[in-house]
Amino acid sequence: MVRTKVAAKGIGRYLLLIIVSVWTLAPVAWMVSLSFKGPIEWYAPNLIPIQPTIDNYISLFVPTNPIGGSFFFTSITEAITKPLINSLIVAGLGTIFAVLVGFLAAYGVSRYRAGGTFVIFFTLLTRMLPGATFVAPLMVFYASIGLIDTYAGLILLYTAVTLTYAIWLMKGFIDEIPPEWEEAALLEGASPWTVLRKITIPLTKGGLVACALFILILNWSEFLFALVISVTQVTTLPVQISKYVSAVGRMYGTMASIGLVATIPSLVLAYLIQKHLVTGFTFGRVR
Amino acid sequence: MKTTNRLTQWIGKTETFKKLSTLPLRFVLNFVLIVPFAIMIFLSFTKWEPLSGYDWWHAPIAGVPRFVEAFGDARLLWALIRTTIFVAVVLPLEFLLGLGMALLFLGDFRGKKAFTSVILYPMMMPWVVVGLGFYLMFQYFGPVNLMLLRPLLGEGNMIDWFTNPFLAFVVVIIADVWQWTPLMFLIIYAGLAAVPRRLIEAAEVLGASSVRIVRTVRLPLIKSLIVVALIIRGLEAFKVFDIVYIMTGGGPGVNSTEVISLYIYNLAIVYQNTSYACAVSLLIMVAIALVTRLAIRPLEVKPE
Amino acid sequence: MPRLVVKNLRKAFGTFEAVKDVSFQVEEKETLCLLGPSGCGKTTTLRIIAGLEVPTSGEVFVDGRLVNDVPPQNRQIGLVFQDYAIFPHLSVFENIAYGLRVRKIPKAQMKTKVHDTASLIGVDGILDVPGKKLGLSDMQRVAIGRSIVLNPKLLLLDEPLSNIDAKARERMRAELGKLQKEIGIATVYVTHDQLEAMTLADRIAVMRNGLIEQMGTTSEIYDRARTLFVAKFIGSPTMNLISCELVYDGNRAILKSEDLALDVTEFGETIGGKAKGKELVLGVRPEDLSIDVRKTNSSAIEAEVQLVEPIGAKSIYHLRMSRLAVLAKDYAMLDIDVGSKVWATFNKDKLHLFDKKTEEAIL
Repeated sequence: MVRTKVAAKGIGRYLLLIIVSVWTLAPVAWMVSLSFKGPIEWYAPNLIPIQPTIDNYISLFVPTNPIGGSFFFTSITEAITKPLINSLIVAGLGTIFAVLVGFLAAYGVSRYRAGGTFVIFFTLLTRMLPGATFVAPLMVFYASIGLIDTYAGLILLYTAVTLTYAIWLMKGFIDEIPPEWEEAALLEGASPWTVLRKITIPLTKGGLVACALFILILNWSEFLFALVISVTQVTTLPVQISKYVSAVGRMYGTMASIGLVATIPSLVLAYLIQKHLVTGFTFGRVR
Repeated sequence: MKTTNRLTQWIGKTETFKKLSTLPLRFVLNFVLIVPFAIMIFLSFTKWEPLSGYDWWHAPIAGVPRFVEAFGDARLLWALIRTTIFVAVVLPLEFLLGLGMALLFLGDFRGKKAFTSVILYPMMMPWVVVGLGFYLMFQYFGPVNLMLLRPLLGEGNMIDWFTNPFLAFVVVIIADVWQWTPLMFLIIYAGLAAVPRRLIEAAEVLGASSVRIVRTVRLPLIKSLIVVALIIRGLEAFKVFDIVYIMTGGGPGVNSTEVISLYIYNLAIVYQNTSYACAVSLLIMVAIALVTRLAIRPLEVKPE
Repeated sequence: MPRLVVKNLRKAFGTFEAVKDVSFQVEEKETLCLLGPSGCGKTTTLRIIAGLEVPTSGEVFVDGRLVNDVPPQNRQIGLVFQDYAIFPHLSVFENIAYGLRVRKIPKAQMKTKVHDTASLIGVDGILDVPGKKLGLSDMQRVAIGRSIVLNPKLLLLDEPLSNIDAKARERMRAELGKLQKEIGIATVYVTHDQLEAMTLADRIAVMRNGLIEQMGTTSEIYDRARTLFVAKFIGSPTMNLISCELVYDGNRAILKSEDLALDVTEFGETIGGKAKGKELVLGVRPEDLSIDVRKTNSSAIEAEVQLVEPIGAKSIYHLRMSRLAVLAKDYAMLDIDVGSKVWATFNKDKLHLFDKKTEEAIL
């Protein structure tokens, strides 16, 4: 009797799990479906395309004239290769800088109590305040310095915004290394830089990589600042997507395909993070 | 002598290191945050737009009127109200759903890892794509209408989601809940699982049912964790921008779904009303700082 | 009717047999101690009795009722964990009342029960204190109270004193002993500390590798160890073990080793057959070895004192007989010091003799 009760509980659980999974997978499933459908099927409710096609994906890279020629379609004149590359550059470099600056600072704060209130205060602030509140003066500032629509401008911005996470997370990893090991090396005459290089970094490598991957995901998805700073040169993928949405109106298939193209790197990164994480990383204390 | 020399060298090195380690950080933050912040404060007291013709540092000081303007701005008020409502709806939903999912995942079962990966991925997606996804789903000829409403309620009862301000708002809420419930799930689950096995066993031996154990042992012990999670998510929810921009652009109409971030964005970039945007931004910043301070106060005072 | 009957318990985790074949009984008001080193299966046995583990085979009877399929809460047992597992967020009152609340006992009745139990175990002054603020000995009491307030037929304790530092352990051992006497429930107590077992238990079951090596009262275990393992495990300092063999010199039976010869003719009959020709181990507890500066009896053996460990009224003397090192525990004698020559006498009533392959021949 106890057995059947347990079995029923198990089935109930799986039932709920299936429901939750369907809910979670629905939007992406639909986008995948749309992206492989031709225009005829875009307004149809079927999940599996009857005539699958990869035209949508192709048109992302090789813009063509209006598909179908119906009057409310507009043309897409830009390939997504440039925004794609821009995203890679900006997100990548932004991450590298954030990790470098952040690690150094986290180390200084953790071992030498450097920075003091300034660091803590401002790192918290960047997280609390909406990005939009910075947009107005930022535009003015950047315009005066000539950083609008430049890689440097955007990368700098990304670094600043993700620094909080970088420092927060990496400090956690650094704190886990017993300081005695480093102190021993210091007492033997090594400089703090050597200590960093030879001791701390090898030991926190896993955490560093996970941190970098996480920040990479953030930078890849970032939208507001990219939207504001870029005009034509540094348009990133998310910004391009928003342009598509307003420009192409009802071209569901192409919209779906560009959405998916933008998502795949995020998912890959997420998978990599899972692999690299040995100790779970919860926000706040690690132990 | 050699040791003291070495020693002083070392001290020198650590001192410089200490200063150097945060140097890049300071540089970046100063550049990207402090300077604009200063500019913002300055500009809020002026009246200036990029089209004014003169450089911003020549802008005439106009004193307080910008702020007065802000207090009389109905659109600002509505943006704030909408955003607050958004947070007030989204937070409990995400918490409860996250709690439910965490409870569902408690214990061992086959495929747990796979299910967990599936559950967690919405958090990882670029926010604009989430907006895009739901935009596509809730189109008039989209799956929600075609697969759910038409079969259930019949032809002619399909809803045009995005032309109705209320419904459009609902879709935005759904999108946010979809994306961020996994985060709450993650935090809550980590907390629940961290409750020592012994305590659970002790309760079991005393006769408590699983439900009772959750209610009387697991939940009380993660209370502080939950508060932290709510604060973090609350702050982020207040800042919502991407999904609204992509899905509704603030509309239908001019500003029926405009959240505060969107309004400020519009002020600064679309209407190019820079000095006013600065004033509003400043006010919002101050408001948020105050509110967070007040919210954290009762937590800090707790005697431990 | 015995409160607890355990029959042929076996528990295997995959290929590893934690419990091989364990059987015993516990009577009302009796305290049985499962004693043994880590990994001997004692905790697993306890958990099986509690219902937290399902035995691979074997039966558990509580008060005559077969409880193999009965979940822990319905077995009428109380369980006290190693670290007490007090709910930190609940007050002492709520901790004790937890089980009562589960059973939906009416409020007034619950209050009385909790208060009665609290005074029995001595925590009625701290009923409002939250669990996380309790000191260890209070935690121990609350843990016990939490179990006994439900009037269990059987109380199970899993190494309750092993997480405590040595000094506090003495005190709490005494308190625990007192409590047990007052409460008077049949108890099964698991520990690896033989001193605890000797102090608190009525009967001890010494376990090794999933089996009970020997079961008996404390004096039985102490004086009549049936195996080498039991003899070595019990007693502090450890029993002296001397390899020897039985030799006959005319009518006399002598236990002979390289360094000593002990006349054991009086036991000649009992040991004769089993000991002949085999390698033997003579066991003598340090407290059964007395020393004197003069040769007070004929069988005393000469020895030199290597070290004196004062431990109060008695001292531990490290002796050397030719090349053999033994320990003797006797009253502290001021005139005996390192280097002194003494005569050691074996208490013949307390000798143990073992076959080298773990078996016992005589007392």
